[in-house]
Amino acid sequence: MQGKDKPSANSASSIFPRTDWHELQQAGDADIARLDRLIRTYWTPLKIFLTATFPNLRDQAETLLQEFAEDKILKKGWLQRADRSRGKFRDFLKTSLRNFVLDRLSRADVRKAPISLEELDREWPAPATASEEFDLTWVKIALAETLRRMEADCQDPAQDQPRRRQIWEMFRIRLLEPMFEDKPPVPYEEMVKRFDLKSPTDASNMLLTAKRMFKAHLGRVVREYADQDAAAALEIQELEEFIARLAARK
Amino acid sequence: MDMAEFDSAKALAKSEVRSLAAFLAEGAEPARLWRPEEIAAVFHHQMAAPILVDLAGFDPATARRLPRLAEAQALVLKSFADLFRHPLPPLELLELTKQFAKANMDHPESVLPGEVASVLYYASIASALVRLGRRISRLADADLRRGFRWALERPWLDSETRALMEQAMQKLSA
Repeated sequence: MQGKDKPSANSASSIFPRTDWHELQQAGDADIARLDRLIRTYWTPLKIFLTATFPNLRDQAETLLQEFAEDKILKKGWLQRADRSRGKFRDFLKTSLRNFVLDRLSRADVRKAPISLEELDREWPAPATASEEFDLTWVKIALAETLRRMEADCQDPAQDQPRRRQIWEMFRIRLLEPMFEDKPPVPYEEMVKRFDLKSPTDASNMLLTAKRMFKAHLGRVVREYADQDAAAALEIQELEEFIARLAARK
Repeated sequence: MDMAEFDSAKALAKSEVRSLAAFLAEGAEPARLWRPEEIAAVFHHQMAAPILVDLAGFDPATARRLPRLAEAQALVLKSFADLFRHPLPPLELLELTKQFAKANMDHPESVLPGEVASVLYYASIASALVRLGRRISRLADADLRRGFRWALERPWLDSETRALMEQAMQKLSA
């Protein structure tokens, strides 16, 4: 495990130190590495969901998640039970984690339970709240991962598209910083000078390219758990609608 | 170029739902690229833009003809402003500009703000009418008048384009 709170998404090591990778690979499970990456990326929403659902287990959240990952996610056949074609991987993950913890508690109750099941019933929060917290954090992480990849793509010297670095720069100063850091958007005239833009068509094409690149990367990030194109598109739509609903309520 | 840091993970982690919703909505509206208060700057940039750059998107044969067309009366027409100011602008160049503007007016994912494309469209027609006494539009006089009037109502219209539209209005009345 890399840090106390969350494993690094960029780390080359696995979050499952006790897993016998050689054995798993021998077993021919091609999804394992992908799952490992997924769980590393989405560790934070899982932890938020777990601690929001079981507040008394806050101190054991890391251990429980680790065990959940090893005992459930990596178990052969678990992933196949997820109906990913409907874009419900997130729900499947939540239900699996909840059931896993309940099962652990029920078994531990016989020996030395960290919390009794009666207590658990009392502390069970409104499921919608925990679920929303999970989904919100999930969206944030998916978007952050999308932006990280887009930036890396734009700054990759191996890419031959001209002005790729400028595309990221424009996206950053026009959209990201004004929206997420409350910075004033750079005026159009200044962008013309900064990027040596020949005409508004030139400027618009650059910004449009940035937006399209973002969409393409978002599609790839989502497809890693929602699988097929149609499911990924539906998942993106659901995430957008979920955020719009939350924003309308606040 | 100065590539300032933007920490995506940090920015997203502390972001508010409102910002997330606005950001996702931006992605869903590719046509809305520039803010209303930027339209004036976009228009001035358009007028100063090299004709050869924007019109080069037509078919290869047209693109090859453009440099010759732009050398009207031994004066090199560099920008759209040059074209509209020219006493004898090449008719074909005005027609191509009109087509370029119309394509941007009609397209849902136009790269030009609709208002800027519309002014460019009416300026091409006005220029042909005023400088050459030719009509390059099949619109009825009433429709043209409405279009010129609409353009004149744009607060960001520069004085020269404004004068051109007014002369075109007079030409139609005459």
